[in-house]
Amino acid sequence: MKKIIVSAALLISLVSCVNESNDYNNDHDKAYDVPAKVLITNAEKELADQVITPSQGSNIFRFFSQYWTQTQYIDESRYILLKRTVSDVFWDNLMRDVLGNLEATKKAVNVEVRSAATSQADFDIQQKNKIAIVEILEIYTYQVLVDTFGDVPYSESLDPNIVLPKYDDAAVIYPKLIIRLDAAIANLNVSGLSFPQGEIIYNGNTAKWKLFANSLKVKLGINLSDVNSALAKTTIESAVLSGVITSNTDNAKFPYVSISPNWNPIYNNLFSRNDYVPANTIVTDMNTMNDPRRSAYFTFKPGTTTYVGGIYGAANSYGNFSHISAPIQAATTPGILFESTEVNFLLAEAAARGYSVGNTDEYYYNQAITKSFESWGLSSIDAETYLADPKVTYSSSLSGSSYKEKIGHQAWIALFNRGFESWNTWRRLDFPVLIAPASATADAQGKVPVRMTYPVAEQTINTASWQAASTAIGGDKLTTKIFWDKN
Amino acid sequence: MKLKFNGLLVLLVVLITQITFAQDRTVNGTVTDKSGLPIPGVNVLVKGTSNGIQTDFDGKFKIQAAANQILVFTYIGMQKQEVAATKTNLVVKLKDDSVQLEGVVVTAMGVKREKKSLSYSSQKLDGAQINSSPTTNFLNNLSGKVAGLESITNTNFGGSTNIVLRGTKSLTGNNQALIVVDGVPIKNDNLNTSSVKGSGSGFDFGNSASDIDPNNIESVNILKGASATALYGSDASNGAIMITTKKGRLNTGIGVSYSSTVTTGSIDKSTFATYQKQYGGGGYGGNDDFDYSKDVNGDGTKDILVQTGYDISYGNKFDPSLMVYQWNAFAPGNANFGKPTPWVAAVNDPSKFFERSFATINNINFNGGDDKSTYNFSVTNNQDKGVMPNSKLLKNIISGNYSRNFGNKLKLTTSFTYSDQSVLGRNAVGYNNNLIGSFRQWWQTNVDVKELKQEYFRDQKNIGWNMADPTAGNLTPAFWNNPYWDRYQNYETDSRRRLLLNSSLSYDVTDNFNLIGRVTIDNSNDRQEQRKAVGSYAERFGINQTTQSSGYELYTRDASQQIYDFLANYDLKVSDAVGIKLLGGATLKHSTSNSFDGSTNGGLVLPNLYTLANSNSFIAPITSAITYQKSGIFGQASVDYKKIIFLEGTLRQDKSTALSKTGKNAYNYSSVGTSFVFSDLIKSEWLNFGKLRVNYAEVGNDPEPGLLSYKNYVSTIGTNPYYSNSTVFVNFDKLKPEIAQSWEFGLESSFLDNRLSFDLSYYKTVTKDQIFRVPQSTATSYNSSLVNAGNIENKGVEVSLTGMPVKTKDFQWQVTVNWSQNKNKVLSLDAGRTNLQLASFPFGATLNATIGQPYGTLMGTDYMYDTAGNKIVGSDGNYLNNSATNNIIGNIQAKWRGGLFNKVSYKNLSFSFLIDMKKGGSVFSLDQGFGQDTGLTPLTTGTNDLGNPVRNSLADGGGIINPGVMANPTYTTTNGQPQYIANTTRADASTSSEAGLGGTYGITANPAKAYVYDASFVKLREVGLTYAFPTKFYDKTFIKGASVSVIGNNLWIIDKNLPYADPEAGASSGNTQGYQSGVMPTVKTYSFNLKINF
Repeated sequence: MKKIIVSAALLISLVSCVNESNDYNNDHDKAYDVPAKVLITNAEKELADQVITPSQGSNIFRFFSQYWTQTQYIDESRYILLKRTVSDVFWDNLMRDVLGNLEATKKAVNVEVRSAATSQADFDIQQKNKIAIVEILEIYTYQVLVDTFGDVPYSESLDPNIVLPKYDDAAVIYPKLIIRLDAAIANLNVSGLSFPQGEIIYNGNTAKWKLFANSLKVKLGINLSDVNSALAKTTIESAVLSGVITSNTDNAKFPYVSISPNWNPIYNNLFSRNDYVPANTIVTDMNTMNDPRRSAYFTFKPGTTTYVGGIYGAANSYGNFSHISAPIQAATTPGILFESTEVNFLLAEAAARGYSVGNTDEYYYNQAITKSFESWGLSSIDAETYLADPKVTYSSSLSGSSYKEKIGHQAWIALFNRGFESWNTWRRLDFPVLIAPASATADAQGKVPVRMTYPVAEQTINTASWQAASTAIGGDKLTTKIFWDKN
Repeated sequence: MKLKFNGLLVLLVVLITQITFAQDRTVNGTVTDKSGLPIPGVNVLVKGTSNGIQTDFDGKFKIQAAANQILVFTYIGMQKQEVAATKTNLVVKLKDDSVQLEGVVVTAMGVKREKKSLSYSSQKLDGAQINSSPTTNFLNNLSGKVAGLESITNTNFGGSTNIVLRGTKSLTGNNQALIVVDGVPIKNDNLNTSSVKGSGSGFDFGNSASDIDPNNIESVNILKGASATALYGSDASNGAIMITTKKGRLNTGIGVSYSSTVTTGSIDKSTFATYQKQYGGGGYGGNDDFDYSKDVNGDGTKDILVQTGYDISYGNKFDPSLMVYQWNAFAPGNANFGKPTPWVAAVNDPSKFFERSFATINNINFNGGDDKSTYNFSVTNNQDKGVMPNSKLLKNIISGNYSRNFGNKLKLTTSFTYSDQSVLGRNAVGYNNNLIGSFRQWWQTNVDVKELKQEYFRDQKNIGWNMADPTAGNLTPAFWNNPYWDRYQNYETDSRRRLLLNSSLSYDVTDNFNLIGRVTIDNSNDRQEQRKAVGSYAERFGINQTTQSSGYELYTRDASQQIYDFLANYDLKVSDAVGIKLLGGATLKHSTSNSFDGSTNGGLVLPNLYTLANSNSFIAPITSAITYQKSGIFGQASVDYKKIIFLEGTLRQDKSTALSKTGKNAYNYSSVGTSFVFSDLIKSEWLNFGKLRVNYAEVGNDPEPGLLSYKNYVSTIGTNPYYSNSTVFVNFDKLKPEIAQSWEFGLESSFLDNRLSFDLSYYKTVTKDQIFRVPQSTATSYNSSLVNAGNIENKGVEVSLTGMPVKTKDFQWQVTVNWSQNKNKVLSLDAGRTNLQLASFPFGATLNATIGQPYGTLMGTDYMYDTAGNKIVGSDGNYLNNSATNNIIGNIQAKWRGGLFNKVSYKNLSFSFLIDMKKGGSVFSLDQGFGQDTGLTPLTTGTNDLGNPVRNSLADGGGIINPGVMANPTYTTTNGQPQYIANTTRADASTSSEAGLGGTYGITANPAKAYVYDASFVKLREVGLTYAFPTKFYDKTFIKGASVSVIGNNLWIIDKNLPYADPEAGASSGNTQGYQSGVMPTVKTYSFNLKINF
């Protein structure tokens, strides 16, 4: 009996050996709490990568705009998005990797502790500035999502406890984004600090972030001009008064470096594969315009001194066409998130629509083209010569029959490396006229897509919400228009 | 003390007397069963000595013994018998032991029980069945031999084996059976990356059960249900494979056995691509796809060039009179450099790439013992050259055990296994970076692999068929390296060293009370290296999976698991009729796993130097250090009434560090079962044995450790390091253990002198509150949450039937049939989800758990159907696609599985074969999807209903009429519903559907559903012919037994519905099955084996 008791005691002592600390379950080589500065860098990198990449698997706006076309695997040029689940990658990158990390940044900012060297007042300003910058980046991201898909999860999004969030009406999200943006602008104190490290688009420069935020207001406002002109007007006008990006020195750029994984994603996609060539649509048009920016955009067709684009939507033999230029595909070319060319075109359009933006449509049109030339390393004299061409001159009837055609055409040429913004401009202005290739998938119904379909994973995971949203927008199709796309 | 000493003295005197006075002489004899059939292998021992021998094949023995000595005869399944050696010629008949017949089986914790007392199903295989075929992984030899066991041996070189008992129980967790060696669980990890486990790209590194030496296995007992394994706790909730290793035996001979096997094999052509031989490379630009725009030889006229950058075969029709500049015309130094060559199909298609495999397995075993100690020591050397060029597996396993009795009460047993495996050149799996994927999906039929071989071996450069732009001087690969460059430059290597140590001390406190203490240590070190030589095609590589044109990756892992067990056994005989056995115990598991994963970044600086330091830029390695502890206390009580009715119950409490202390880190579960041996009540002539059993069990389970959400270091840009948020949300405090409940009913019987017996089981398992990463909308900013969710049910029937239709002295025929059916159903998920996406495959299909469906629904795009279910064809003659991606297009679960084993013996010759069958289940074949898209398969050629080649243009009478219906063009209606009539529209088949010019074949034109195939098969898995040499051959030598065998494996897939591949082929073991991309062909092997005992 004694032996039994002894052995029982032995057993019990053995059992009590399990470590009861919850930390014991951690992977000891991993970080569980990190400062906000390392999270914001990641969020900015993820955002820049998604916006800039030309990968057929995640960003196909260069095909929608018929800037680039594919050589051999031409599915995406034919608007087949399912094969490489393009929408899934795009959505995940923005929702999970950009917005998720921005939310994580906010949480980290909120638990930061003031150091003795900083006064409480300065600390409060700094923390407010940090949150404002994060907010601006979130709003920028939401706009891309809404403009791409239409209704998306918003009021229930970014909450890990609501695993199957409902989708919100895109038309309701837009005004909310503008309100949030106003609040962020109001919270930005341009004389205070923000992120001393980690924020690498503007290196924490709050004054530049204010220009960025106001420019974003213009970008949101202009889309509303056909559906809610009053809101578009107040939004754009207040932004312009507060100051927007009109000079190339204020452009928002992500500083890529020469080494993987921090090199420019265009380089990453082009240096080893011959998947893409410039499309004949843009090359032919620029040939007609005799546009000097061609040398910045394309190479000559091998063995010739002419620019020849691959046939859009058909298979193309890489060796027989012009290629993307060396500067665009250099590993260290910065990734552009916002630029003065784009803002000037938006302001030209705003002026043409009758909003008070401080100058005429022609002024901003000329500015936009001049800034574009500058940003591609061409001189202002080149720009003047180009602008003097009646096919370009704003006042000339040869440049188009309407402001929509004039601005649409020139913005399309200028935004060559900004696929998403170009596609947005095209949807809003309906110029230039782009025609779907004969090889286009039946799902596109013979038209250039005006929308991306929802991700496969939303169909299989968030089924009910996806179903409701699809019905609400008029069908989860490539041809369903976003609420602001009226014509 | 003095008394004891005197006793010893007396004993000594007696012994000496015996030795001095015993008159040894030779006793001959024969041992038979009760029907007079000789029994080979019976142990014959002179009682009280270490003098012993085994009977030969004819049941005969010869032994030295004195007339006053006693011979002891023992044999498994027979009653022990003692016979006085008074005569020099004995005939001994051993009786079947009704207890022994059913045998003693090893149950949980290594406890031995009479099989008839068990309330659950177990199936035992002896060493011969485990070693029926030469193998590096004994799990491969279980296929078709156990009812209810799904053992999927994929075709990868040294690849992993999926081992699932009674269906998928965990939605996303581990479903593999626990491997237990001599009572103690060992790790059966699969070191494949999550990408590979999800059918993505990488290598299949196999599973570590292959560290067990098959030659050293005495027997394997498979415990299928949770009740059987409740004592092991959650680790065994998927059932257990209980391995008993060979132990030392009392033996006077040298006790050495030697086995040598030589194996050679070649691919089964029915499991590899077949190529059309009418059209060559090209086809994105239409069916005249030559490049006519260049003057290669400078004669002023344009030449004909094949588009080397196009990796498809929808190009121009072969025509030997057409002289075409092909890849070799641009390879400097090639015999055809600068020359056009006739446009013909390659003589050597990629099936010629595979070589003959060659393997040797040599094993030597030393075995022996005396009345105090036994030992067994075994060394195995295994060398295996695979069918892929430059592939090699080398393995040495040394294992041994030793046991010794100290006095009558204390017994020490200790064992060790050391295995050292190194592999070179595993085949890649998945879509990217996989050579077999190129052969099956992306290839030009005009390219000859033998010529590529000569090209590579001429100067070891990466000059191949898929040159990016040769006329511009760009000879680098567009997408694919020279296949020989891939094999000889970009090879992987890996090695694993593993040491398993086990020691136990058993002490009999009293006759009926025993204590056991046991320690088991399982240590393994893995090292895996991947290379990409300078000059390779740049693609995703390294820990960041960015595009790299060269590089090196090193992964290492040190894993250790220590298990400490205490067991107390107490046997109590309450009365003659009632017996009680009590067992109590405690166990502690402590494990650590440290891993390192580093790679070069931005390419190698110096070519051919494969070190992490030889990197263009620094990239931080990914390291991980996870520790884990789990303790358990358990008890078991068994009661029997007259050994007719048995009742057993178990209780266990576990405590785990993988659950939160603030939540519930301790949890209880239990089992109860009964068995009723009705044959002991109905005494009948024809019924030898009959038993009914029923049991119920609950098993708790904890999550995998170290899964909390951390912030992941990504990289450093400039001076800014950056970290990403976790993609998995974990609320640790909310997690509770998952519970599996199962019940089982069984009937076992044997008849007609045990010539016919069966075992039937019916079971049902429900797994609730499963802990897993439930995918959620990424709009939540996470991919998934680790939560308790989901409920999955498995019910099924297992039958195993053994019969001996013929049994005479010279001729015997034995048949075993195993059959099982498992019905699996996902009952609920979590938080409103109706579907759980388990894996997303490249190009168009997902694997899901869908409520109301069996686990593993394949989803993807489907055809459009009319109300009668006919496929609708569109105006271009191609099928219309339902582009929603959540159509159910298949399910991976089989309807049933079966195995049929036959063994016929005539005198010294025996012949056996095993037929393995699976009915039902689906597999999605990307190999077919792209193989058709790229015009490789013969399906894409031939003639149409008009008798014209299908690849002619429509204008030229080509194209095909897809079977189905089309809208009646002459029918008009007001309600908008078209009328469907049989399709008459001819679809274009002249180019790849990807080119967007028409093209009716392949995955671009057709929905994912078109590439879902029935994965049923009937395979002739094993054939063996063994000849045991009669005693007279070696009578005068020291040899005690010898046999030779010829064995064939996977010789014939008798029936299958999946074209050009083995339905069992895949990327890895694990939950993600039902997808094929670039899978290896099956290897048919022929082996010759020689066994000698000394």
